[in-house]
Amino acid sequence: MPLYYFILAVVLIGCLFFARSKTLHHILLILFNILQWGFTIYECFHFNTEQLGYFTVDGVALIMLIVLSILSTTSSYHSVGYLEHQHKFHTTPLRAQAIYYAALGILIMAQTGAFLASHIAATWIFVELTTFAAAVLIYHERTEYAIEASWKYLFVCSIAITFAFIGILFLSISAQEAGTINLSYQSLIQHAATFNPFWLKLAFLFIIVGYSAKMGLFPMHTVCIDAHTVAPPPISAFISTTLMNVGFVAIFRTYTIIASTSILPWANNILLISGTLSVFVAAVYLLRVNHFKRMSAYSSLENMGIVAIGLGTGGIGYYAVFLHLIFHSFTKASLFYQIQQVHRVYKSYLIRNTGGYFKYYTPGAMVILLVFICITAMPPSGMFISEFMIFRAMFEKHYIGLLVLILILLTLAMWALGKNFFRLIYAPPVNFDSSHVGKISLKESLSQFILLGLVFYLGFNPPQQMVDLINEAIKNLPH
Amino acid sequence: MTNVLLIVFTISLLYLGIATRLLTYIRIFAFQGLLLFGVSFIELTQITTLNLIFILLETIIFKTIVVPLFMNYVIKKNKITRDSEPYLPSFISLIIITTIIIITFILSNAINASHISKIYFVVALSALFAGLYIIITRRKIITHVMGFLIVENGVFILSLAVGNKMPMLLNTGILLDFFLSFLVLGIFVNKIKDVFKEPDMQTLSQLRD
Amino acid sequence: MISFILIILASIFFTGIIIRTKSIVTGRKGPGIFQPVKDVIRLWKKGAVYSKTTSFIFQIAPSIYFASVLMAIMVVPFGQYKGIISFEGDFVFFAYVLALGKFFSIISALDTGSSFEGMGASREALYSMFAEPAFFILMGSFALLTGKTSFQEIFASLHFGSSISYILGVLATFVLAMITMVENSRMPIDDPKTHLELTMVHEVMILDNSGFDLGMILYATNLKFAMYGALIANLFMGSFPLYLTIPIFFGIQILFAIAVGLLESFTARFRMNHNAQYIFVLSSVSLLIFFGVLLMLGRFN
Repeated sequence: MPLYYFILAVVLIGCLFFARSKTLHHILLILFNILQWGFTIYECFHFNTEQLGYFTVDGVALIMLIVLSILSTTSSYHSVGYLEHQHKFHTTPLRAQAIYYAALGILIMAQTGAFLASHIAATWIFVELTTFAAAVLIYHERTEYAIEASWKYLFVCSIAITFAFIGILFLSISAQEAGTINLSYQSLIQHAATFNPFWLKLAFLFIIVGYSAKMGLFPMHTVCIDAHTVAPPPISAFISTTLMNVGFVAIFRTYTIIASTSILPWANNILLISGTLSVFVAAVYLLRVNHFKRMSAYSSLENMGIVAIGLGTGGIGYYAVFLHLIFHSFTKASLFYQIQQVHRVYKSYLIRNTGGYFKYYTPGAMVILLVFICITAMPPSGMFISEFMIFRAMFEKHYIGLLVLILILLTLAMWALGKNFFRLIYAPPVNFDSSHVGKISLKESLSQFILLGLVFYLGFNPPQQMVDLINEAIKNLPH
Repeated sequence: MTNVLLIVFTISLLYLGIATRLLTYIRIFAFQGLLLFGVSFIELTQITTLNLIFILLETIIFKTIVVPLFMNYVIKKNKITRDSEPYLPSFISLIIITTIIIITFILSNAINASHISKIYFVVALSALFAGLYIIITRRKIITHVMGFLIVENGVFILSLAVGNKMPMLLNTGILLDFFLSFLVLGIFVNKIKDVFKEPDMQTLSQLRD
Repeated sequence: MISFILIILASIFFTGIIIRTKSIVTGRKGPGIFQPVKDVIRLWKKGAVYSKTTSFIFQIAPSIYFASVLMAIMVVPFGQYKGIISFEGDFVFFAYVLALGKFFSIISALDTGSSFEGMGASREALYSMFAEPAFFILMGSFALLTGKTSFQEIFASLHFGSSISYILGVLATFVLAMITMVENSRMPIDDPKTHLELTMVHEVMILDNSGFDLGMILYATNLKFAMYGALIANLFMGSFPLYLTIPIFFGIQILFAIAVGLLESFTARFRMNHNAQYIFVLSSVSLLIFFGVLLMLGRFN
């Protein structure tokens, strides 16, 4: 089945690339999403079976795949809107639209592949493919900023991916010494206990540095920040959510290999350091940020830092990490979709050019408010629950000093986010001519309400299937 | 014999540290491609002919001929000044690259591995970090790309160390090399010129807080 | 003893061959190969003029310099034959006797009170400083490789077997040859024929020397060339019998001289600020030799 999925996806992407009609594009995009959902539903019923030799749908893959499919539908929908309204008076040229849709298709397909891959090299190849697609999409607006950001993204991600490859090579060396040349995750987890710790340490270090570019974690987070700034908002929504999930899955799978060896405490420390530094960097930069999308990007960095800390803490943290990733994906995606509508009102992403959003587009302002509640992990939202669980895990492991530091940093971040969001919603705009503000219909914000509703609903009333899936995903980790 | 080639490769890294002209970089890169061919030809005795041809293609055709010629073309076409414009004097570069080699050597002593020859490890990591160092301390985009290619060479050496047992990994690495080099070099170096319209490509540093 | 005599013999024609090569390459007939020695003899027949501002140091320095070079030559072995002086760790003695001579030539340059000479002295000191680790790492690697610590034993037990030893031999030759150029202030570090004091290194230090002293300094340069040539030759002599080693010795000396001549004809000297990095390359390369030796010994594989 994955084979059919990939073949069909490639065919559809090819059609998208060569089609030069708007209607055709929309039809093909709908077909692509149907394919994506069909595949997702198929995989739901073929849980834990190996397919095509290199793909297995386990708990991690299925969770992430469902999140991806939900977000690819919304992102496709908002992409159409974005391409309509990108320029003030005219729509994007059809050729650029075709490239955009084709790259979007590649991005979704590559992420699907990366989630499902059960072989360490297969994961790596698909992650590499996402870099390419994302770079093309970042370049979409063809400004100087766009070329700078996509160049940086491509270049740094290439170096990062090379690092990850070196990590895989080290892993393969240790596997060879342990007498196996099978690099599928299952075989690696089985043999991990006999691996040479030195190689494993090096491998983990290189892999975490490598994939941190994708996950937006500390050592290589800068590319993601720059990419967010210029990428089209629906794509930013991808880079900030599912693409970060891709990075997370890649790191998580390596972590699962490490988990059964003696170097687990060491790996945990690495994750804690990386996570803490991420939160620190994010908090510091959030205080002085002046661009909405950069602000959201730093907020993603902060959340990924929390995820890394949760993974490094262990215990109940493992469960919370997945919950947090799911909620963060939905929240951040709706924030980016909303930022696109903010941009349509103010024609600017700069915070100082905005204000009084309630007056111009009330549903949008509601979305912003809800996002603020979620992203700062205030009680009614699901992210409160996941973050609280991570903190509880830290408390149980007696990381009190670290916990206090993180809480202080999060408070700073919360203050900065609140300051900027409330300025957007309530403050009177400066030098803003409101006569040209177009009408935005409510249906364009509907997807955001649905996503945010999911965050609230899943937080308080998690369906049993989801709990089971997450427990399935973390079954190989020590309890 | 591979040891000899690898030592020469390391010396080329030292030379890279003090080279000031872009042309020298390109020559060093082509030379490294030849060395890599030698190493892989001698070392990879257990792989199939098809694989060997593939590696030949990678080292001789691609690394030694195509990429250097292409970089030459890019430099000429974009009228890039021929100096590498490092941020740090070459003397310090040399000291740092020497230090990198010493550190990787010391690090390699911590290994008690029987399946991999340590010299591969030392040379590969040295190339990796020397390449990164070049990327960090050189001003131009084209030198960044060259640093990246050096990093790729390091990865190639490391993958040779496991290549006999796992040709699949080796091929994946080589494909990565093709793919990225073409992508990074081809599309972007030309596109950047189109957008910026400057005779000399400056650093891209407008995006910041 | 034999090495001492042979090196003296080689020193007579060494600089001559360099000059002759350079003139042939540039299309001139050039002086005979004994011309430098004739010049030195002419200088030796003269008295010396001393500046009033100088002290006794300026007067004794050339002699000490010359003597130090002679001392160093006595240490150099010839294949399996010992030098006049030979003991454990004599390569350290070799390096520091030369350094002593250099030290005196530097302070004598400072003694004249000329700003040019001070500048030259500082450059010479800097370059020697950078060249020293290269020499010691190189000799240290050989000592490690052979397990011996005197020149004669090291060279007698050096033999080339595996392929890696050839590259080590080539690299060692390269490093030694380049140290020779640094120590003798030749191209590409310094141009002995330059006529601008600002760009000189060694030549500017001996501006005030004249007559007999100048002759000694010039002849010391010839001796040093022959001495390093002998070291390089020693790398290849191994334990062959005498009737083979003497031709090898002269062959390598002549080859080396021609190589120096060609190098000086075809390269431009480096910019002054590039010299330091160039000399440091020698240290880096000898470090690689050291690692290569570790590799050969299997301390590291």
